Amino acid sequence: MSYILDGYNWDLTDPGSIPNLLIAHISITFVSVLIGLAIAFPLAFLVARFKHLYLPTVTTAGILYTIPSLALFALLIPFTAFSQATVLIPLVIYTQVVLIRNIVAGIRAVDPQLVEVGRAMGMNSWQLQWRVVLPLAMPVIIAGIRVVTVTTIGIATLAPWVGTEDLGTLMYQGFNFARSDMEAAGTILVIALAVAADLLLLGVQAALSRGQRVNALSEA
Amino acid sequence: MATIEFVDVTKEYPNAKTPAVDNVSFTVHEGAICMLLGTSGSGKTTLLRMVNRLIDPTSGEIRIDGVPTTQQDPIALRRSIGYVIQQVGLFPHLSIEDNVRVVPSILGKSAAETRDRVDELLHLVGLEPAEYRKRYPRQLSGGQQQRVGLARALAADPAVLLMDEPFGALDAITRARLQDELLNVQRGVRKTILFVTHDVEEAFKLGDQIVVMSEGKLVQEGSPIELLAQPASDFVRQLVGADNILRQFEYQPVTAALEPATDAAQERIAADERLLPALLRLIQMRNGALAVVRDGETLGQVSLASVFASVQSIHRNASAASGEHNRSADSAPVIR
Ligand SMILES: Nc1ncnc2c1ncn2[C@@H]1O[C@H](COP(=O)(O)OP(=O)(O)OP(=O)(O)O)[C@@H](O)[C@H]1O
Ligand SMILES: [Mg+2]
Repeated sequence: MSYILDGYNWDLTDPGSIPNLLIAHISITFVSVLIGLAIAFPLAFLVARFKHLYLPTVTTAGILYTIPSLALFALLIPFTAFSQATVLIPLVIYTQVVLIRNIVAGIRAVDPQLVEVGRAMGMNSWQLQWRVVLPLAMPVIIAGIRVVTVTTIGIATLAPWVGTEDLGTLMYQGFNFARSDMEAAGTILVIALAVAADLLLLGVQAALSRGQRVNALSEA
Repeated sequence: MATIEFVDVTKEYPNAKTPAVDNVSFTVHEGAICMLLGTSGSGKTTLLRMVNRLIDPTSGEIRIDGVPTTQQDPIALRRSIGYVIQQVGLFPHLSIEDNVRVVPSILGKSAAETRDRVDELLHLVGLEPAEYRKRYPRQLSGGQQQRVGLARALAADPAVLLMDEPFGALDAITRARLQDELLNVQRGVRKTILFVTHDVEEAFKLGDQIVVMSEGKLVQEGSPIELLAQPASDFVRQLVGADNILRQFEYQPVTAALEPATDAAQERIAADERLLPALLRLIQMRNGALAVVRDGETLGQVSLASVFASVQSIHRNASAASGEHNRSADSAPVIR
């Protein structure tokens, strides 16, 4: 605790200070999840429609997920050296299997009757996806985003191995210099960040499923 | 308003032995309520869904105001036709207001532009806008949800309304109330309505025209009175309960029992009244007669004797082999 409480470690001008490492960690996570979503959404809508593509896509994403992160870093270093890309690419890859699975599960769980009603009201296919399928699938999709965000916050602690600073730096340096207070500070901050992110997304999930949540309450 | 013509409409689903809809032709006139009546699997839903092209016919065509639906863009066509189903199908993630304004909003209208319209529609279907506008579907009872379903279907002021067993999941009292309100609403909006049901009472209560379906075929088409008086087959006779004297009393107009006016007529009754209220009144009066009037003009009178005579002749006709008409059946008036 002493490391976290020490005012010296909160100096904003020091790139290695707690707030700067925290911001770096948040931005790495945010960018990875965002890029992950940008890839997973079109893929998921594609494989939800063309069902025979689902298995190969999810299997590929699953296999990529099993590659250890350090191995993936090592594979990338010849191409991207010690740039942020070396960290972001694996993180984005790891998001895919959970995101694609959850988005597809969310889409499939949408009551086909409601899609049919939308069609009967005269929605075109874009309006159907945007106004009916996506909002109804959203609670399941956000659940996937929660899992992915927490996982990414965890894996991002390995970034210092390939030269990108974030909260992992505290653990990495604490280990190298036998500073257990630094190591503990890194661990506590990462856990706190993961819990905070999870609660935030839980709030979003609740807000987005108002109609459904009311249902749960009224039927209780 | 719009006229809908079905011309030799056939729909065969792949891998089905018999067509779901088999060479069906009939016309629904502007502003009429046409009831599609038949047993389960007779093709009612299939027929209905071909009107807004959720399904396309295998052969034949459907014309709205003379224009074949196949010549119209399906999306635009659907936006111009209201659709109500038994399961209601309100969007659970949208408030009542947003559910009602679905069609205006996909047509590009903003919430501000449609606010008054939403209020008007909620009033029309008997829901207080201030109380219900911001609620979610799950916070409404089944009957209230179906009212919203009707409001949603009417939102873009479509000329045609398709209703697939809209009141089928409701209890008898709520169903009766919503039927009354549909008739009320219809008096104001005069849509051309195609209404699927397998409830004969409902068909008689709401229908200007009844189309009886069986195994994909149109068995008979006509006004409720025509079906009662001249059922085309034993199937129709049983379905509509043509042998049921009470039903005859309920649906036959007093004009079916008209006899020349005499001095015995002490009270008056409107010509569009049914036999049943006339009969009850005659029983109360113990005897005598009621003058039948239309637009202030006396057409004749009804008495206990004439009512009994007319019902007996209808009943005899209904029990006789189909195709053989007698005087009373041929002269049975058609209400529109
Ligand atoms: N999508 C489909 N594919 C194949 N067959 C179908 C399909 N939809 C309906 N059918 C068949 O077509 C026939 C008519 O079905 P339809 O749903 O039109 O009947 P219905 O009169 O509406 O019955 P119900 O009163 O039970 O709703 C049935 O035999 C049904 O099994
Ligand atoms: Mg049906």
